[in-house]
Order: sequence, then C-alpha cells, then structure tokens
Amino acid sequence: MKSASLFSSYEVNPAFYDEMFSATGVPREHCKALWEHLDGMSGADIAALQDRTEQSFLHEGITFSVYGDESAQERIIPIDLLPRVLDAGEWGLIERGLRQRLRALNLFLADIYAEEPAQILCDGIVPVDLVYGCPQYRTQMRGVQVPLGIHVFLCGTDLVRTHDGFMVLEDNLRVPSGVSYMLANRRALKTSMRNLFRLHRVCGIEQYGKLLRQTLAEFAPAGVADPCIVLLTPGVYNSAYYEHMFLAREMGVELVQGKDLLVHNGFVYMRTTDGLQRVDVIYRRIDDDYIDPLAFRQDSRLGTPGLFYAYRMGNVAIANAPGTGVADDKSLYAYVPDIIRYYLNEEPLLANVDTHLCREPEGLEYTLDNLEQLVVKVVGSSGGYGMLVGPHASADERAAYAAEIRKDPANYVSQPTLNLSCAPCLTDEGAAPRHVDLRPFVLCGQETRLVPGAFCRVALRPGSLVVNSSQGGGGKDLWVLPP
Amino acid sequence: MLSRNAQGLYWISRYLERAQHGCRLLADQLQTLEDRPVEEIDQTWRRLYASLDREPVGGSLESNLDDEDFMLADSYTLADDLTFESSNPDSILNCIATARENARQVRNVISKDMWYCLNVAYLKLSKVGIADIWDDRPGDFYLHAEDTIRTFSGIVDSTVYRDDAWHFIQLGRFVERVQLLAALIEAQIAVFPLDEAHIESEWRSLLQVCEARSTFSRRYSLEYQPVNVINFLVSDLRLSRSIRYALARIVEALERVSEKRPAREARRLAGHMAAHIDFDWPRHNLNDTDATRTVLRELRETSRKIHENIETTYFEYEIEDTPGA
Repeated sequence: MKSASLFSSYEVNPAFYDEMFSATGVPREHCKALWEHLDGMSGADIAALQDRTEQSFLHEGITFSVYGDESAQERIIPIDLLPRVLDAGEWGLIERGLRQRLRALNLFLADIYAEEPAQILCDGIVPVDLVYGCPQYRTQMRGVQVPLGIHVFLCGTDLVRTHDGFMVLEDNLRVPSGVSYMLANRRALKTSMRNLFRLHRVCGIEQYGKLLRQTLAEFAPAGVADPCIVLLTPGVYNSAYYEHMFLAREMGVELVQGKDLLVHNGFVYMRTTDGLQRVDVIYRRIDDDYIDPLAFRQDSRLGTPGLFYAYRMGNVAIANAPGTGVADDKSLYAYVPDIIRYYLNEEPLLANVDTHLCREPEGLEYTLDNLEQLVVKVVGSSGGYGMLVGPHASADERAAYAAEIRKDPANYVSQPTLNLSCAPCLTDEGAAPRHVDLRPFVLCGQETRLVPGAFCRVALRPGSLVVNSSQGGGGKDLWVLPP
Repeated sequence: MLSRNAQGLYWISRYLERAQHGCRLLADQLQTLEDRPVEEIDQTWRRLYASLDREPVGGSLESNLDDEDFMLADSYTLADDLTFESSNPDSILNCIATARENARQVRNVISKDMWYCLNVAYLKLSKVGIADIWDDRPGDFYLHAEDTIRTFSGIVDSTVYRDDAWHFIQLGRFVERVQLLAALIEAQIAVFPLDEAHIESEWRSLLQVCEARSTFSRRYSLEYQPVNVINFLVSDLRLSRSIRYALARIVEALERVSEKRPAREARRLAGHMAAHIDFDWPRHNLNDTDATRTVLRELRETSRKIHENIETTYFEYEIEDTPGA
C-alpha cells in the first residue's frame, strides 16, 4: 500500500451519483470536513484500523450465517470504515417519506384483514388475486383485532439513490433485520475515529433499543401496566441470531425460543426457574409459518402450540402481526404508490422503481425482450436469493433464466438496472467508489419513531450492484448531520 | 430466570470444569512422560482413562510395556484423543466448544467479557491440532488452556449478579467437580490398590491434579501416604478441590436458588452426603480398597441424582396445575 493520501486515485464515475463528490470531483458541502480529515490519513493507517475492527467483530461474535455454506458457519459482515453522510435535508425527506409509506401500508393491511370486504379491492385499486392469491396472505388473520390497529410495528425499507433522487427498492414488513449492524457499525466507528464525531455533531442512534422497547410496550394487552416483553428467536442456527441476542440485551428482555413458551387457558407463559411467568408482548423474529403449528405450518418445531389462539383472544401481542408479508410482496410493491394515494390522498414522497409484473402479459413480454438490461427478482424471496442482474449475466445464464420465467411468470418481476449511487470505500488502492443502499428502521406504535440512521449496505466488489450480506456485501456507518 | 438460560449457565460451568480437569490431567501426564518408567506411564494413562470412563484408543496399552518408543507414540495418540478428538464428546476442545455453544444460547444474560473470553479461547483452540503442540513444550498448551478457564472463572466471579444465574453456575461447577473427583480417586485406587506397596510419585501426582500438593505438604508431610491423600481430597472442607468442599457449595447454592421452587430432593441428597462424609467416613477403614471404592461410587451416584433433580425441578419440569396469573 502506498502512503499517498486516501483519495489520491479516487475517480468519480459520472454515470452514478457520488455520495461524497459532485460530478466534477469536488467534495459536497456537507462532506467537506470529513473529506479533509480522511484525506489527511494514510491508507495504511485506515487499513490497520479496519483490520482491528474486523478482528473485534469476530471476537465479539458480531456474525451472521449464510445458508448453504458449510465451511464458514459464522462470518462477520465486513465493515467499511469510511462513513456515508446525509445532510439534514436529505434525511428529512427520507423520514417523511417513510412515515407516509408505513402509515399507508398499515391502513392497507387493516383494510385487507378486516371482517368486511376490503375497500381498496372493491374500488379496484389493487387486483384481488394479488392479495388473496398471495401465499403471504393469512386467512387466519381475517377479522383479528390487532393491538392499536397496527399490523407492522417495525419496518426496514431499502432505499437507493440515483441521479433522480431517493427511491424505495423494497419494503421489509415481516421480520426486518440489520439494525444491530447499524448500531455495531456506529460503535466501531466511534471506537476507531472518535474525534470525528465531536467535529461533525453526528446525530445519535444509540437510543434505538429504548425506543424499540417503548414501542413494544404500547402493544401490551389492556390493563397490563408493566408488560413482560420477550424476543422470540428460532435459535442460534438462524442467520440473524446475533441480532436477536443483541436486541434482547439492549432492551433488557428475555430472549426466548418456541419451546420456552407454552399456552395455558388462552394465556402465554414462559418456563422460568421460579415456575411459569406470563408473557404479554412477543417481538417475534421467526416467520409466520413457524409461530404456531396449530395455526400455521403443522410440521414446525420452532413454534408454540396455541400461541395464535392466545393472540386472537387479545391476551398477548405478536409484533409484527402475522400476515404482513402480503404487503411487501414484490408484485404488490408496484401498487404501493397507488395505495398511498388511495388511503392518504397524498402523492408519495419517495418514488418507486418502475416494476414490470411478469404475471401480466405486457410485463412478461417486456421482461423477456429486455432481459439484458433488467434486474429480475423472485416474488416471494428475499436476501437477493435467486435474482438475475441482466447486464452482469452471460447469454447462457439469461437464456436459462428466461426459461424459468416462462414456466411460472407470476413468480417474477423485473426492474430497470438502477444506477445505484456510489460512496468511497477503502480498498487496497486507497478509497474507491462502490455502490451503496440504505435501510432505515421505522417503529410504529402509539406514535411513529425512527432514529436518524440506517444500516448502509455496500457492494464491496468493484462494479457489483448486489449489496446483500449473503452475497458478499458489507456495511458502513451512516451519518445524519443536524440542520 | 428463564429455565433454558439457567440450564445453559449450568452446562457452561460443567463443561468448563470438565475441560479444566482434562487440562490438569494431561499437564500432569506430560510430566510423567518426561522421566518416568514405561510401567508408570502405562498406569497413569490407565488411571486417566478409567477416571473419564473412556476406553483408550486402540484398546489396552499393556502390550507396549516392553517398548518405550511405542509407548511414547501411543501417548501422542492418547493425548490427541483427549484433547482434540472430535468424536470424543469430553475432549478438551469439545468441552470448550460445547461451553461456548451454550454461552451463545444465553449470551444475552451473561456479561460481554464472559462471552468474549470463551469465544476467543474457542477460536484459538479450534485452529490447532496435536501436531502443532506436541513437539514444542506441549505442557504449555495445557497450562495456557487452563489459564483461560481460570480467567473465565475470575470474570464470572467479578461480573455475575448474585441471583439465580450465579447459583446455577455454582451448581454446574460443583456437581461436575464431585463427579470428577470421585471418579478420579476411584480410578486411582483401582490402578494403585491401597493394600499394595505404593509408589509415592503416583499419589503426589494425584494431589497435583487436584491443585492440592503444596497444601498437603504443609498440612501433613512430604510422605504421600495414600490414606492421608484420599482423606484430604474427600473430606477437607477447606480444600477447594475436595468433595466435601464442593458439596458445601452445592448445599449453599440449593438453599438460595429460586425460593419459590426448592429442589427438595437435591437438598436432601447433598445434605445427606455431606453428613456421611463428616460422620461415617472417618470411621471406615480407608485401607480397605473395596469399601473405599464403594463409598466413592455412591458419592458419584448421589451427585448424578442431584443433577437429575436439578434438571427436573428447574429445567424441564412438568406443568402440574393452573399457573397463578
């Protein structure tokens, strides 16, 4: 590694929005101080900090598991120490946009799970089969009075930026993860670049655990003053187990597995050394299918028999509510702007990405004709599994993928390959641009709360657009600066 | 405290106690390899394996008695078996891996330093094999491993809040200790019967394994009389690696843990066993090999029952009546 300044060989590619530099290579106003500071450091200094941070992640066990990878069961999400910075105006737009979006999606869920026929379907805004035909639509939830009338108490929305501004890539309304990395990356950065924080007055995010607990407590059954909150995890073999443990600790609540719980006379209890203790609120980090073998998948050994019954009785809160996956389905996504207009009578503040639904003949035809320019996603999947990035695939791969699409068109959607924005990342040759996105987390109880921060994901391979941790992505700290 | 968490803490300390015991046994065995005759090496290996209820790999060692090279080569295999062998659930590596796995399950209720210590120990240990440690002062490896476990105990002492978490950690550690000590002393007597002429170094090494040699020398003498050694390791209330001391800690923990659900049977058994050592043990003839072995076997059996009662009282209890809600 040469000892030249960090940014000496940094080249802004005008095809992509650069988070730190304008198209002419001048640092943006809100990044100037950071740039000056970083440019004064040698690449070797930062690389040493980087190594130390990753070592401490491994030792602390800040790891995740990749399914289908026997060799490295526990891996760290690589962290890039160069922070990404948003100014107060940019963050303000994101915050307002996300509040609006979640408000509309919660109204949508309340509508489609109400006893009476869903208004939005009657009015023809969203195709009926897209809701009732969706595997994530849970008929068991029909007519259930959910606490506060809110189905989604926590949402993690993926946002990207292009030259046209911020866009919503997808909503995660089931069991969104990543918030622990947001907090771990912040702590790592504070450890290694302490003096930067005072200089920039970066907005704090450390209150997240407290807000999470406060929001969950608001879902407690009526009359319970000091609710017993638990976090329900599938266990240590789940890829996000570290996060479950971390959050339980941050909140000071028990981390339970399905087998720790039991239902008796319609109430939920956990098995403690003092006997059974009543549970009031469950922040569940297991999928709908595995919550309760009596209500959902019968072969589930992770769940607790009778849990859903206790939930319907109103004796326990489950957050997020079962069945929220219908609203983050990749086909339904295309209708979210209409959903916002329908319920709120407002224009969406954050744009959607153009989406072609292969379930519709025009969408299918367009997708197959333009495969080399599109990103194709599997409707029911997440984590970047099964997707095709057309421009980066070989002709053979595209042909094979096209055959798959034809077999089951409804299972696919396509979107233009986005020119994701870039931010400087540390490489062996100093700082270099890499593509990034961000996932802020929105909490929704009696009021909507979010901390000014996000899990910022970065595609570490040069040119790669895939930021998923399971596909070689890493993380960055994201700074929001005060006005 | 959540039952599964209590169970996790209990097993962390049981496995670490076992790992530490293994480290001490092997460190002692490696000293034997340095200068003792092959017969003694063979005997100490047999004592070691018998105390762990395990068959030596490759069966009996006796055929090698006339060939020192074979014996030393076997020692390499045996040390590997007890240290790194993945199919041996009680190998030191497996004990630490299992302790760490339990710690991962209960990470949200243990201190960060506890986790960190155990995780780093495991990550280091999982990167080496017997070939890496054998040629260059293998004894150091066991000393280091033991040091790590001691560090962990120190962190436990200084960071764990004295609620049920603490009591279950104590229970795991001392239930395991009673079992290991009773098994070790019994194996010692089986290999070196009390009514035969004794080899002093073997009794000294037993004390060494139990961290009791220098204390013994001060309290008794430099004559390592088997009867005195056994008596010391079984009945001395002030020796942390004695059965009686471990029982006192078990009784103490059982009295304090979960006031709402006393483990009555475990308390009765532990109290009974303590009284037996205090009042009956001094009256029986320690030179009677069979009688002494019988008592030691009973102690082991009782401690197994204590374990079972703890398990059914706190970890996996049946739900009897309507819970008070």
